[in-house]
Amino acid sequence: MDFGRFIQYIASGTAYTLGVTLIALPSGLLIGLVLAFVAVYGGKVPGKIMDFYSTILRGIPPIVLLFILYFVMSGAINLSPFWAGSISLGIISSAYQLEIFRGAILSVSGEQMMAARAVGMSKMQAIRYVVLPQMIRLAIPSWSNEAAIVIKDSSLVYAIGVPEILRRAQLISASTQQPFLAYITAALIYFALVFITNRVLGRVERKLTIPANP
Amino acid sequence: MKKSLIFLVLVVLTAALIAGCAGQKAESVLDKIKTSGKVVVGTSADYAPYEFVDDAGKITGFDVELMEEIAKRMGVELVWTDMPFDSLIAAVQEGKIDMSISCFNYSEERDAQVDFSDAYYTSEDAFLVTEAFTGTITDPLQVAQYKIGVQSGTVQDDWVTTELIDAGLMPESNLSRYERVDQAALDLQSGRIDVLVADSVPAKAIIQQTGSLKIIYEGMLYTGPINIVLPEGDTALREEINKIIKELQGEGFIDALAVKYFSE
Repeated sequence: MDFGRFIQYIASGTAYTLGVTLIALPSGLLIGLVLAFVAVYGGKVPGKIMDFYSTILRGIPPIVLLFILYFVMSGAINLSPFWAGSISLGIISSAYQLEIFRGAILSVSGEQMMAARAVGMSKMQAIRYVVLPQMIRLAIPSWSNEAAIVIKDSSLVYAIGVPEILRRAQLISASTQQPFLAYITAALIYFALVFITNRVLGRVERKLTIPANP
Repeated sequence: MKKSLIFLVLVVLTAALIAGCAGQKAESVLDKIKTSGKVVVGTSADYAPYEFVDDAGKITGFDVELMEEIAKRMGVELVWTDMPFDSLIAAVQEGKIDMSISCFNYSEERDAQVDFSDAYYTSEDAFLVTEAFTGTITDPLQVAQYKIGVQSGTVQDDWVTTELIDAGLMPESNLSRYERVDQAALDLQSGRIDVLVADSVPAKAIIQQTGSLKIIYEGMLYTGPINIVLPEGDTALREEINKIIKELQGEGFIDALAVKYFSE
């Protein structure tokens, strides 16, 4: 097999890697963000439930949840490998993002909430206009870490047969006996994806910095 | 906290139970294949020449061409699903794929989980070593004194585990189980294992590709007939597949394929 085709075969798995990441990361963001606010402002019982949610999910290796969702639950919900992979990574990521956002919310001082309520804002308004804009900025650095982790964890879906970068590298390494080239190619693609993502998020972070309050 | 914990555990268990019961289907997979007009077949395309990826990035090989002919005779479209070898049986069991062709030998443990078609080919085992290896093996059990590598979940894995480790001939620490046979071949070349136990046909393909290994023993251990893996208890599907395999054997189709892929 010539070199160009070799690289192209592995690189064409990038579409699946991006697909899984682009489903898992935003859904984890949405769930994590909502749950973080519930955890901080929701009162005692919802707070405990959020603790439970995040403790359990952060304690399960992503590949175990993947197998449970794909093989064990298949009688109840019949998911394709791609969706089983994306959903399980999204669920796990939501637990980590819950913790990231919880920390960010708590670093916005509690007095601001009190002050907002004192000038007549409702709790929802205070969250929307006072807490959220600040905590999002605080969360970006640790969030870009999580983004990198999800991109790399997306390689796990190879185990249930999604032809993403890693699985393609395995197959081509098996048929050509050139493992070095195959895995170096895979490593470089993952590196490029993570590098670009971090660069973009770094730029977003700088753009959003409040000039008066660096 | 404690109460809510118990409650949540109960909810999860109930959900798992419902999921488990819902998993038992009555209708034959054959009906599903005929109505949808396509058959979804799983394979682990890392086992040349049975199943591998060709220069164009397409799945091909002995098993693959055979399955394509079987699908053609069933009058349905064939959809390939590639997944790691040790995920295939679970995928057939759970109905994720309709069947799997991936150089499967018969074994009792597998038969308890899934059904087997009639054999379409008979394979042998080989002990693969480096050119520098000086020992000789006349009785396969003699291999117990070396560090051995196998592909996990294969019948070779089964043989080494049962006949050598469980029988007390070698410590389990001397066995390395690999996800794929080419990984094991790499460790053989780098000296981490002394002997690679594998199906003889892929073993010969590895020798050709690397040009630096040799076979010191060839024979039937737990291998032998290879079969297509089918869902448990699906008689209609099994009869249909067996009928086509018999036709293909009668016409010499399978022999011709074996010459094409296995002759050195």
